Amino acid sequence: MANSLRRQFVLALAAATPFMAGFGSTGPVLAQDGAIRLGIVAPMSGPNARYGAFSLRGAQLAAKEINDAGGIDGRKIQVFSADSQGTPVEGVSATRRLISQDKVDFLIGDVSSSVTLAMQPVVEDAGILLINAASSNPKITYAAGVGGFKWSFRNYPTDENRALVVAQYAAEKRGFTKFAVLSVDSDYGRSAIEFTKKYLPRFKGQILTEDYYKEGEVDFRSVLAKIRDSGAQAIIMYGLADTTPIVARQMIEVGLAGKIPLIGNGEFNTEKTIKSAPKAMEGAVEAAAWLPAYDSDKSKAFVAKFTTEYREAPNNHAYVHWETVRLLGKAVEAAKSIDRAKVRDALKSIKYDSAVGEVTFDDHNQAKLPMILLQIEDGKPAIKGAFYADIDYPR
Amino acid sequence: MLFQLSEQIVNGLVTGSVYAIVAVGMTMIFGVLRAINFAHGEYYMLGTFGAWVAIEYFDLPYPLSVAIGVIATALIAMVVGQLVMRRMVGMPAEAGVLATLGLALILQNTVILVFGGGYKFFNGGYIEPVTVFGISLAEQRLLIIVICALVFVGLELMVTHSRIGKAMRAVSQNIECCAVVGIEVRKVVVATFVLGAALAALSGVLTAPVNVSVYGGMGELITFKTLPIIIMGGLGNVRGTFFAAMILGIAESLVATYVGLQFRDTVGFATLMLVLMWRPHGLFSAQARY
Amino acid sequence: MSLQETSLPAPGRDLRLPFGLALAALAASAPLLLGSYALHAVIISLIFLLPAHGLNLLVGYTGLLSLAQAAFFGVGAYVSALMAVHWGTPFYLNLPAAGLVAGALALPLAIPALRLRATSFVMCTLGFVIIGQAIAKNWISVTRGDMGLSAIPKPHFAIGPASFTVNGTTEFYYLALAVAALATAIVWMIVTSPAGRNMVAIRENETLAESVGIPTWHYKLLVFMVSAAFAGVGGSVYAHYLTVVSPLTFQMSYSTLMLIIVLGGGPGTISGVILGSLLFVGLSEALRIAPELRMIAYGFCLLALVFWFPKGFTPLIERFWTAIGGRS
Repeated sequence: MANSLRRQFVLALAAATPFMAGFGSTGPVLAQDGAIRLGIVAPMSGPNARYGAFSLRGAQLAAKEINDAGGIDGRKIQVFSADSQGTPVEGVSATRRLISQDKVDFLIGDVSSSVTLAMQPVVEDAGILLINAASSNPKITYAAGVGGFKWSFRNYPTDENRALVVAQYAAEKRGFTKFAVLSVDSDYGRSAIEFTKKYLPRFKGQILTEDYYKEGEVDFRSVLAKIRDSGAQAIIMYGLADTTPIVARQMIEVGLAGKIPLIGNGEFNTEKTIKSAPKAMEGAVEAAAWLPAYDSDKSKAFVAKFTTEYREAPNNHAYVHWETVRLLGKAVEAAKSIDRAKVRDALKSIKYDSAVGEVTFDDHNQAKLPMILLQIEDGKPAIKGAFYADIDYPR
Repeated sequence: MLFQLSEQIVNGLVTGSVYAIVAVGMTMIFGVLRAINFAHGEYYMLGTFGAWVAIEYFDLPYPLSVAIGVIATALIAMVVGQLVMRRMVGMPAEAGVLATLGLALILQNTVILVFGGGYKFFNGGYIEPVTVFGISLAEQRLLIIVICALVFVGLELMVTHSRIGKAMRAVSQNIECCAVVGIEVRKVVVATFVLGAALAALSGVLTAPVNVSVYGGMGELITFKTLPIIIMGGLGNVRGTFFAAMILGIAESLVATYVGLQFRDTVGFATLMLVLMWRPHGLFSAQARY
Repeated sequence: MSLQETSLPAPGRDLRLPFGLALAALAASAPLLLGSYALHAVIISLIFLLPAHGLNLLVGYTGLLSLAQAAFFGVGAYVSALMAVHWGTPFYLNLPAAGLVAGALALPLAIPALRLRATSFVMCTLGFVIIGQAIAKNWISVTRGDMGLSAIPKPHFAIGPASFTVNGTTEFYYLALAVAALATAIVWMIVTSPAGRNMVAIRENETLAESVGIPTWHYKLLVFMVSAAFAGVGGSVYAHYLTVVSPLTFQMSYSTLMLIIVLGGGPGTISGVILGSLLFVGLSEALRIAPELRMIAYGFCLLALVFWFPKGFTPLIERFWTAIGGRS
């Protein structure tokens, strides 16, 4: 008995050791002199792990490029990452770990808007510069800059911008007035539809059916049959990249393909998606912050570099994180310092030449960015233009 | 209107068949082990990944990949059965909850570690649509219904005629008596567990062509769908599970059409709670096992 | 052998009081000893300690295995967030309100659920969490659905002219510590009262308990409500600490974390649950050093717990209390 209890004590100690190790040591993090310490908060596990992997790779590629070119005024960028699992609690834990264990000065994150919203007060208290690169909920910058949070920036277009551009194109160029909604049940899918509803009356459009699917949903037959029988002319879908092929295939099954196109966003334009169901994707309309087929030298160079580095084509999340790290680099260069307050001030007045056009920030710390609109024609994305829209901040 | 209804019922039967094949394994495991298996959906995921690897890495045809997915899962289940499930005989319910949750985390995240967290594209199966009584659906869906029927007929024959089937029934009735009359309880537990896991894998590989995507976290969703089914079906009751799965499949399909897709995942537990209020032991008796 | 016996400490030397004082001193000085990230982890464990205390009353003392805690945790978080955002009510009002609403809501849910046996009861309680999440997602006019509620104000206290806002990590730590200490005291009072002994009687043998005149049905209802109230209070602290709530507050992994804390720490002991919450939340944070292996390692820890510590850390804790002179 005593023996077994002793064994239990030993096991308990063994179990407690990582606990001590995790908190006690500062880890193998020895600061290089004057390095730019950058933390990336992204979902590395859970349902959005795919976005996290792309985000981190994009950021790491940018850091590598800058460091290989000698850094910024000789300073190297050191990238630290932490997993948010796409949930607010884990995201806040990850942010705090980066700030106090890894001693980062700058943060980029998260993909999920609800996580970013939870991170904002944490960085505000710590005085750490947060540049969000991939959350589209408008509330994030409603509350930033003159709206309150001084340390939060966003280098990504909002849901509002996207919804307006898509609704306008569908109505004016395609002549649609009857729509079915099939979006993901998340803050992204829900708020994009909320803004679509705000703008649709302007174009005399109406919504006939409205459904939201859960992450990981695989059976759309019932809802697609309903949409088929409803008389809708297009399906407004703000969805997940991974679900688009499933929906497209089942559209063929229930006889929707080629009759009713998808419009919205959800990586409609990648080769993989189009190949999964060419007939269903033909005529689909998408508004994206960026796409691999975008025609500019910088964008093409990025795609080539990313593909050779990781043997996989980049997606939107890889691009925005790559671009945001470079933007931060420019801000540090302009500030001639890694002092957080100076970099923040430099960012406010920056004119950055990105792969999709010039980036500036408004008084809500929101980047003015174009939405790129494309349509799938003959199995290939055809770019229909880049649209800027002004944000109507609530007073 | 009537046509739409009948189309949705057919959709429900397909979904129900998928659930039934997974749930029957789970309910049989409950019968012999008296433990809720929170990791059961992970074997569905493992089967699908096995088939995906066979197609993607070795270029094998779909029917062969089905066999590989099921066999690979059965082998993994045998190891898990020997190391973990066997020891759970006679343990309290809460131990079963913790152990199977632990297993679910290990299986799911190991697959993510090896293959990455992203969605994989499942390229195989018979996805051409055919028209049956005016309803257009993929051939694969018809195959799912047929195989579900075969599985249940096979199980019925097995538990009434074969030696191991009779032993499973005996163990689910009374573990102590089995030990007394010389049935090797632990062996029966492992055998049932491997059979259940293999059935879950079969369901996974059959569904993969129409569900298109394969990813590490897909098992969790299936676990949540099957839990209410096995309770409604009367824990351990094979026929009850079949009917409960069909009821849930059709109910989900109708809710997705007439109420909204966002409520679909709530249907299982909502139905379960209504059923339990009315009949606290489920729709089908747990006494009439198998 | 007899030599050793004489060298044992005198039975009168009770080290529990000095030990308790040392522990209190340690808790009070934690902000000086820990970095802000470690302190954050401790705050999270104090938050999860509250629902775990409630669950311990159910599982550890009354013998009812429940997965419903996350549902009441979510209810508490939403009640607090809605009151704070819409009506601007202060934290010290939101906290009890969250507990009361969660506790009151538990009554109509418990009446049908408690009629069920074992596995059906567990599944029914899991159903509360799933349905709670669906309501939080779809009742958009109130909960704002998946967009969640954000900008929940930091706790603010105003007594007469003096006012004080709980701002930094350290200040929030003391607030969470105070709430946790109060909750622990309440649990201690419950379990040492005659009611606590009746609960144990129900756990050990419900039929026997009924036959000696314990109103077991009422006890079970009441304990279920009290445990829900604890979860609601935990949810309130959670909402004010993170400043956002989303439907993800209702998730099964929170229920299972609470269950792991209770079963791993030592069901039926207060000190076990406190140790459990520090250990298992800490473990989850500590495993961040190996992000890819984090969840796999957590899974193996659960298996180790089941097979090597079937009673949680209870035997270790009892041995420890005996060693320092308390009763076993």
